[in-house]
Amino acid sequence: MFGRLLLQLLRGSRGRLAVALIAIVSGAAVISALLNLDLDVGSKLTQEFRTLGANVVIAPRQPQGSAQRKTDVAAAPGAPGLMDENAVVEQLKTVKTAQIVASPYLYVIARAEKTPVVLAGTWLDEAQRLSPAWKIEGNRIDSRDDPGHALVGRDVARELHLKPGGGIALDYMGRTAKLAVAGIVDSGDAEDNQVFVNLRVAQKLSNLNRQIGLVQLNVGGGSKNVADAAAKLAAALPEYDVHLIRQVTATEGALLGRLQLMIFSMVALILVLSSLCVLATMAALAIERREDVGLMKALGGSISRVVGLFLAEVGVLGAVGGAIGCIAGMPLTRWMGHRVFEATISMRWEIIPLTIALMVAVALAGASPLRMLGKVKPAAIFRGE
Amino acid sequence: MFARLVGESFIRNPRRKILTAAALIVGMAVATATLTVALDAGDRLAREFRSLGANLLVRLQSDTLPVEIGGVDYRPVDEGAYLQEADLGKLKMIFWRHNILGFTPFLDVPAVLDSTPSIETTLIGTWYEHDVPVPDGTQFRTGLKATHPSWKITGKWFADGAKECVVGADLAAQRPELIQIGKTIEIGSSTNSQVKTSLLVTGIVSTGGAEDHSVVVPLSVAQNLSNHPGRLRQLFVSALTKPADALSIRDPESLTPTEYDRWFCSPYISSISYQISQAIPGVDVRAIRRVADTEGRILSRISTLLWIVTLAALGAAALAVAATSATTVLERRAEVGVMKALGARNAIVSGIFLAEQLMLAVAGGAVGYVLGIALARALGKSVFGIPGSPRMILFPVVLGLAALVAILGSLFPLRRTAHFDPAAILRGE
Repeated sequence: MFGRLLLQLLRGSRGRLAVALIAIVSGAAVISALLNLDLDVGSKLTQEFRTLGANVVIAPRQPQGSAQRKTDVAAAPGAPGLMDENAVVEQLKTVKTAQIVASPYLYVIARAEKTPVVLAGTWLDEAQRLSPAWKIEGNRIDSRDDPGHALVGRDVARELHLKPGGGIALDYMGRTAKLAVAGIVDSGDAEDNQVFVNLRVAQKLSNLNRQIGLVQLNVGGGSKNVADAAAKLAAALPEYDVHLIRQVTATEGALLGRLQLMIFSMVALILVLSSLCVLATMAALAIERREDVGLMKALGGSISRVVGLFLAEVGVLGAVGGAIGCIAGMPLTRWMGHRVFEATISMRWEIIPLTIALMVAVALAGASPLRMLGKVKPAAIFRGE
Repeated sequence: MFARLVGESFIRNPRRKILTAAALIVGMAVATATLTVALDAGDRLAREFRSLGANLLVRLQSDTLPVEIGGVDYRPVDEGAYLQEADLGKLKMIFWRHNILGFTPFLDVPAVLDSTPSIETTLIGTWYEHDVPVPDGTQFRTGLKATHPSWKITGKWFADGAKECVVGADLAAQRPELIQIGKTIEIGSSTNSQVKTSLLVTGIVSTGGAEDHSVVVPLSVAQNLSNHPGRLRQLFVSALTKPADALSIRDPESLTPTEYDRWFCSPYISSISYQISQAIPGVDVRAIRRVADTEGRILSRISTLLWIVTLAALGAAALAVAATSATTVLERRAEVGVMKALGARNAIVSGIFLAEQLMLAVAGGAVGYVLGIALARALGKSVFGIPGSPRMILFPVVLGLAALVAILGSLFPLRRTAHFDPAAILRGE
């Protein structure tokens, strides 16, 4: 009986309910798309923050440099300011995930044609991934085992008149290395003054076998992830100093927080507006249906039962609208993903029940005018007042 | 007659108007608030990025190759060329001077910390808060406070020009008994052991960079110790910029005069660095790619996102107003029936309704605008920490929007009133 009445009611005022349904569907579509975007914005923005470079650094307790700062002084393996490559790389492997890019560095001040230059020995394949903002003229170096090529900073290239394809001769304490210049690096930063070679080349030149001065890491996935990875590394490498590059994580966190707050406030505003749409429709319906209610009451229907019937109607409206909205939200999500991040945003299924629940709540909130029906007096209605 | 009909409708049955008016007010308040926040957001987020530090680096072109590891320059102090401190005020004379949020000079001096055994360290000469005279007669206060906000200090910063210093956290941890806030340390030049100075430690700084192993001092102290008065090695500039686009990455030489003007008058990082290099002859200004690229890309992404979100909220507001307008028209079928029975033509009936809607839209839009400003303040405060500033330009925009959605919302139901049969309506069917 309840079900049949409900169906009849829904069919009876199709046109009126359509307005409310449109409001709920479009509200649900936008809200599901925004919530999806909100959940993804963190991981997508983290990708973008990659270009800022390292956010975690592993360094010796005392900085590298004191021994190697003068080109004429050789450093001994195990000197302060150096770390054991094997021990560090071993620990790196244990925390390494797809979200972490890490590369060791060994800096020595070598001479190129009598000019002192900073030689950075690193894993060139990873180093280039650590610094996606580098503009490289010429070729990249894709292997960390390549012993014959170097990347040269833009200022070094200018000073020594180097071009991609040319050669550079490096000298350190009488040991020499001849390398081909693969590309010129433009970073706008200190890297412009450095020559990048693979770690083995720098270690051989400086006779610091298996020694490194620094490890730079970029940990993706938000500030909590970064802090976790740093804490894990610090516990695994107690003899070294693991620290966060605060400005990067702080900016990322602050920006993300503001953005998510912004999206949430918009979602809240849209919910209010949707319930306003429902409210408008329901107010009209309540007036229109006074006669129906009068009849129901005259036939002995209790107030709670009558109001329950109407609320059920609104609930069905909210659920159906929410479900249709979720389906409509899918292409919207995809479009927003392409517009904003130029990437596909995966649809999250947990959003669907959430959106439907929100829309049912919004519809019920909008149905408050129906309570007016409780005051209807059947006799007055039938007299035509 | 027409005016009286419209007027009477407001006076006799104001309750009927409440719903539409409420929807208009709420809808337009939301529209005002979202537009205000969206217009402000680009600027606010760009400022957020400035906490990353400087995005431009200024050096002298004739300088020798810096020998820099981990942010510390290992060149002897006598080598290379120096910038003039006196030139720095010119930075605030360029076209985009208001976008220069701050700049900080640096002069690194290799130094020895007097203790047993002595510690080799670097003296970083810079400003925390320094008043720079600008050629137009004003003063510009800048320094680390503006360009390096992420540096964390325990204690307080040195006073500009005083014989005070701030010690890096790692260096302080090496000699906790010697380096303490309130104590005095002896620093000597590592090239000339005769030159010494004693500095009061006012704070311990932690940056996560090379500064943690160094001593940060007022620029004048480093200049005196290295015997380079009025000089500095490099200058970090923090500028508010516009994300790069097709125009900004082109070579200024290849632009047509109109394009050049547009380029020059847009705060691109390339045009700001060009203007700086014009202001101080002989310098090499470069964008710190790491910071500038990231900032540009994320900002353009976020602004797209913001506009989409704003449009969604505007759409919802329009729909809410349209829905209530539709409802009011349908609610008043009986009235339409009477008017038609008395011989009113469809055009008159529609005209009366539209005039009413317009009046409501203007009133609702105005109230909504005022409420929206309050909402924008609250929203701006919670999202960005700074209340959004009201924009007068939005007032006509919001009024127009209110009128548009109110009329569009009633057009569809009004079309249906044309088909109303007065007899049927008056019978109560």
